[in-house]
Amino acid sequence: MSIADNGPDDPAAATQTSSWDSVVHQLRQTAQVLAALALIYVVFFVLSPPFRNLDTLFSIMTQASILAVLACGTTVVLISGGLDLSVGSIFAVVGVVVGILLAEYQVPVPIAIVAGLLAGALCGALNGIVQVTTGVPAFIVTLGGLTAYKGIAELMASGRDLSRFPESYQMLGSGYVMPISIMFGAALLTGLFLTKTRLGNHAYAIGGNEEVARLSGVNVARSRIIYYMIGGLLAAVAAILEVSKLNFAQSSRGQSYELFAIAAVVIGGTSLFGGRGGVGKTIIGMLIMQTIIVGLAYLGVGTSVQRIAIGAIIILAVFWDVWRRRSR
Amino acid sequence: MSGSVTDQYVLEARGVTKRFGGVTALDSVDLELREGEVLALVGDNGAGKSTLVKTITGALGRDEGEILFDGQPVHIQTPLDARNIGIETVYQDLALVNELSITKNIFLGREIVKDNLFGRLFGALDFKKMEANVRDLFARLDIRISDIYRDAQGFSGGQRQAVALSKTIMFGKRVAVLDEPTAALGVRESKMAMDLVRSLKDHGLSVIMITHNMQHVLNYCDRVMVMRLGKRAAVRNVSDVDGDMLVGLITGAIAARSG
Repeated sequence: MSIADNGPDDPAAATQTSSWDSVVHQLRQTAQVLAALALIYVVFFVLSPPFRNLDTLFSIMTQASILAVLACGTTVVLISGGLDLSVGSIFAVVGVVVGILLAEYQVPVPIAIVAGLLAGALCGALNGIVQVTTGVPAFIVTLGGLTAYKGIAELMASGRDLSRFPESYQMLGSGYVMPISIMFGAALLTGLFLTKTRLGNHAYAIGGNEEVARLSGVNVARSRIIYYMIGGLLAAVAAILEVSKLNFAQSSRGQSYELFAIAAVVIGGTSLFGGRGGVGKTIIGMLIMQTIIVGLAYLGVGTSVQRIAIGAIIILAVFWDVWRRRSR
Repeated sequence: MSGSVTDQYVLEARGVTKRFGGVTALDSVDLELREGEVLALVGDNGAGKSTLVKTITGALGRDEGEILFDGQPVHIQTPLDARNIGIETVYQDLALVNELSITKNIFLGREIVKDNLFGRLFGALDFKKMEANVRDLFARLDIRISDIYRDAQGFSGGQRQAVALSKTIMFGKRVAVLDEPTAALGVRESKMAMDLVRSLKDHGLSVIMITHNMQHVLNYCDRVMVMRLGKRAAVRNVSDVDGDMLVGLITGAIAARSG
């Protein structure tokens, strides 16, 4: 029996704190990354005259949109304590599937889109199914998926010219309005899923403490499969968007997109260890990354240096998170 | 309750055996829980208390033995099975998810969804109803935590335990199983937790409580079951024992057979 008193904390003392605490805490965290984004934007605004243009702002958001949609799925998977390295390859599979259906079989656009979404969801679900049935860690299963799905995309695409799609399909990814709307739409729906639904809340529970969730009667295996499926589905949305924008499909697309997505999630402030985070932060994280890339390009900095900068920022973002936790 | 005479036990375990590899953790253990009583489960570390509780509540599979509820054999394979029958469990260190709010913790796995299309189709949660239920419950149990939106992480050990115990009253229709409800709690917090255990009884629950605190056994429990080396060593009415005798039974200094 423990006789040591834990300290002077009176149980009644907690009643003093406001019920708005958690809401305020969430907003404050999001406000911090938002402030970082604003700061970075202002820095480039000052340094580069051509950057001072509303067009640049929209072009940053448009360029961010494809990866941002993908990263929404990554957010769900990471919150649930999972990891999916294969979404870049799922992206390639979906692009090729949609490309073949449109270019070779002249399938109606809506049907091609639905087929692409199904293919993505299926690939994602398969990741989850293999994990929960074999017990092989997420890192390994989805690393396998990374190469396997890539191979599937290559097999399907081999020797085909997948380009020149119908006008109605090209509309999806062209201009500013559609890609930006799809980005915010995907973020909104994913956010509603995470915060308002039972299954979304279980993602936080499983990522926070899987054993407690299991003992509380949460069907952990089934939930996990669904989170990976959502990750695959959003990778499919991103692929459909990109294929439309480029007006061609290739099995080489999507390479290292999973890493950029994870980077955006982390920069936004979602925990890599699960249980905490949100999709709004991910969108901000992606915009931070894209603003830096575009801003550096305007300053005449080459892609290689941009990559180095992004790499440093990822480490800095996690360091900031670790430092904040420790000082609390 | 059916009128049968043998129905005096709400929960029975018969001949429960559990082996881990070559080690027999539980050797044909019986346990009987009477309706409306608090049964203490005591024993030295490694005596098999937690293992017994886990096999009864479906957290661990068992190799032999059966579980009876209201005299009827029941199949408990998972924690959910136990829960559906009416057995609520508070596991040591595994009661709450730090990252979830108090309300979400209490309703974890049993969330109330909205009574509309969104609820049925998407599992949209009815936070208002859940929060109202939690406030009601806390008022009834005199648990003074108003900040039910906050993450569980921010609360003291006593408050967390209070939340975990209140959960059994919210949902536990018949039996509450508590694994060391005062472990790692201070004196004042232990008292608070034990008062809650007493109110579980007042709310009509039968309680099995693992504890190392002999004072808690004597003050709050009706009967005590002693385990030693994976076997049941003794069962006594608390009115028939004192602290020294319990310690003797636990260590084996007092040899006892009981029926």
